[in-house]
Amino acid sequence: MRFMVMVKHKDEYGPPTSEMIAEMGKYNEELMKAGVMKGGEGLMPSSKGAIVTFSKSGAKVIDGPFSEAKELIGGFWIMETKSKAEVLEWVKKIPFEEGEVEVRQIAEVEDFTRDDVSAEALDKEKAWRDRNWDNQSG
Amino acid sequence: MRYMIIVKANKDSEAGVMPSNEIIEAMGRFNEELIDAGVMVAGEGLHPSSKGARVKFEKGGFTVTDGPFSEAKELIAGFWIIDVKSKDEAIEWVKKIPGFEEGEEIEIRKVGEASDWQESGIDPALFEKDEELRRRVEKR
Repeated sequence: MRFMVMVKHKDEYGPPTSEMIAEMGKYNEELMKAGVMKGGEGLMPSSKGAIVTFSKSGAKVIDGPFSEAKELIGGFWIMETKSKAEVLEWVKKIPFEEGEVEVRQIAEVEDFTRDDVSAEALDKEKAWRDRNWDNQSG
Repeated sequence: MRYMIIVKANKDSEAGVMPSNEIIEAMGRFNEELIDAGVMVAGEGLHPSSKGARVKFEKGGFTVTDGPFSEAKELIAGFWIIDVKSKDEAIEWVKKIPGFEEGEEIEIRKVGEASDWQESGIDPALFEKDEELRRRVEKR
């Protein structure tokens, strides 16, 4: 099962210290040795981002920083484990003294109910994913 | 430069309501456009927060709270990572996402790369080993 593990911040955050970078590096190595790490990125603060809101009359773009954001994602991992319980054990090992992490299960094509109506759409979804991964490893 | 495109949740996504086949197919075509343009890096949908959890870290321990979580607007339902030439290009791609016309909110965030670390005063070499290992696992 794959999970998205997101680091959340209450407000704009600063760059990591070199200690934090070193500790995260060690943690990421453990994740990789265990075959759990499938991806991960740090995100720049919202000042480098934007929010797009859709309506019937079109899309509205507001540049960051986000003044109204209650919580921001600071970064995330994609982890693959046998169960939610196992991913939570890995999350507890993240070298944080404080903060919050949200864990969400990634929907796989196989998770969806396959019936006469959805089969074709699901096959197409699987096909583009297989193709996407071919592009990635090229 | 890479950007993360974050699709916020709503009542339907939290209730596990499947999008219509039309939307699934339109999304499939959109994803193919991203791939054909060479900008698609990753894209995933998430199960509702009822299948998730939150872990709060405090000095001395942690608290685990199982989902579901209220405030759908603060939750995410899915994301893409795209590789584009500029933030403006990322915004142009977001405007093309099909099926959105009722107040849906998309958050665009820059993925940290060597030039960003340098700008923040961090030596990108500190991340080198980490990044190299991560690139390796991102390729299946």
